[in-house]
Amino acid sequence: MPDDTQWSRFQVFVQVKPGAPFLDYGSVHAPDLELALLNARDVFARRPDCVAMWVVPAEGIFSKTVQELQDWDSAPAWDNAGNRETYHVFAKPMHAGAQTLLGQVEASSPEQALRLALERYENKKPAFAWWVFPARLALSSQVEDIPSLYAPAREKNFRLSTDYKTITAMRELRQPDKDG
Amino acid sequence: MDNHLKNTLRELLVALADDELILGHRDSEWCGHAPILEEDIAFANLALDEIGHANLWYSVLADLEEADRQSFVDRMVYWRDAPDFRNIQMVELPNGDWAFSMLRHYVFDSAEIERLNVLAESVFPPLAETAAKIRTEEYYHLRHTRLWLRRLGLGTAESRQRLQAALDQLWPYTGQLFEMPGEPDHLFALGIKMDQASLSWEAQVIPFLGECQLILPAGAERLLNRQEHSRHLPILLAEMQSVARLDPEAEW
Repeated sequence: MPDDTQWSRFQVFVQVKPGAPFLDYGSVHAPDLELALLNARDVFARRPDCVAMWVVPAEGIFSKTVQELQDWDSAPAWDNAGNRETYHVFAKPMHAGAQTLLGQVEASSPEQALRLALERYENKKPAFAWWVFPARLALSSQVEDIPSLYAPAREKNFRLSTDYKTITAMRELRQPDKDG
Repeated sequence: MDNHLKNTLRELLVALADDELILGHRDSEWCGHAPILEEDIAFANLALDEIGHANLWYSVLADLEEADRQSFVDRMVYWRDAPDFRNIQMVELPNGDWAFSMLRHYVFDSAEIERLNVLAESVFPPLAETAAKIRTEEYYHLRHTRLWLRRLGLGTAESRQRLQAALDQLWPYTGQLFEMPGEPDHLFALGIKMDQASLSWEAQVIPFLGECQLILPAGAERLLNRQEHSRHLPILLAEMQSVARLDPEAEW
């Protein structure tokens, strides 16, 4: 689309506390990975909690929904042409919820990665949709980024809607109308 | 505390707070106008951070004056006129284009971190603690603006030309970045060594601007003090203060 001046889209994954699985939070536009990480921080981590964030080019994510899997031609079962590398496996739970990191598989293609993921996780974690992408595509924030990227948000209550008594104030303002 | 020392501290705190407030207000003017939604949010975020930092500095001053923080800060922000402000001129200049706003932010953030490094060593604990607190957030600002400067400087011919034009306009104002009010002896007694900040700022900023393919403009620095303002400040203040001044008794 030559008329499309939008930047590329990056998927954003957030870890809310150490050891918690990364969750899909949405996407941001950015000219590249580094700026995507900072945009992701501004869009999704202004409110607590966040201890780590990944950004991944959206086109690098191989995805299948449960419906798509029914028609998915599973051949070739093993593609050994490419180099094996680590893929992250995400699944969206059947009940409501975000795409959630389940773990990693070693594969030489996204198709193979998904197949291995299904073998390993499908029975344990029935999912509505699956995402896999090579770990090398993700840019991650570092532990040393926490103080400047995420920690300050904890003290900024003015960023939370609960800090504003708007509803109570509006109710009080409307009260005279009701009486009159 | 000795009265002379207290006076210097007062002037210093007003200068630090006013720099943050005025830059924060300029940042907020990008809200709804930035080239892309994500950067719009980023600039709104910068605005909130800088205004938050101003609030911290005004609050240190309120404590020093033994005044109520909330009403003191409101008075400082909404009820002073341009001649009473002590911000440097760089931060009151209109936003210009994206390159100008980014370059100004980079220049200010990089200088601010050096100023905060020095202030964090002050022997006056509220000053040192506040500086250390603000500093963590400024690392993020600097990271953001550095990424942008590189991309504009090494981007297209137009982006570089705009960034260079911004540098040509802003550079003469940089002489003010480390100029702090108050008696040098008193600043020394407070353990504040701005010369040191200025040197380490130059040592990192000049090479970085070179990496971004920018040429430092030759020519004289503008010698300004913090009591002098451009014609842009009263206009900015009129907008920032108009609502508060409509109803001095209003509770927010």
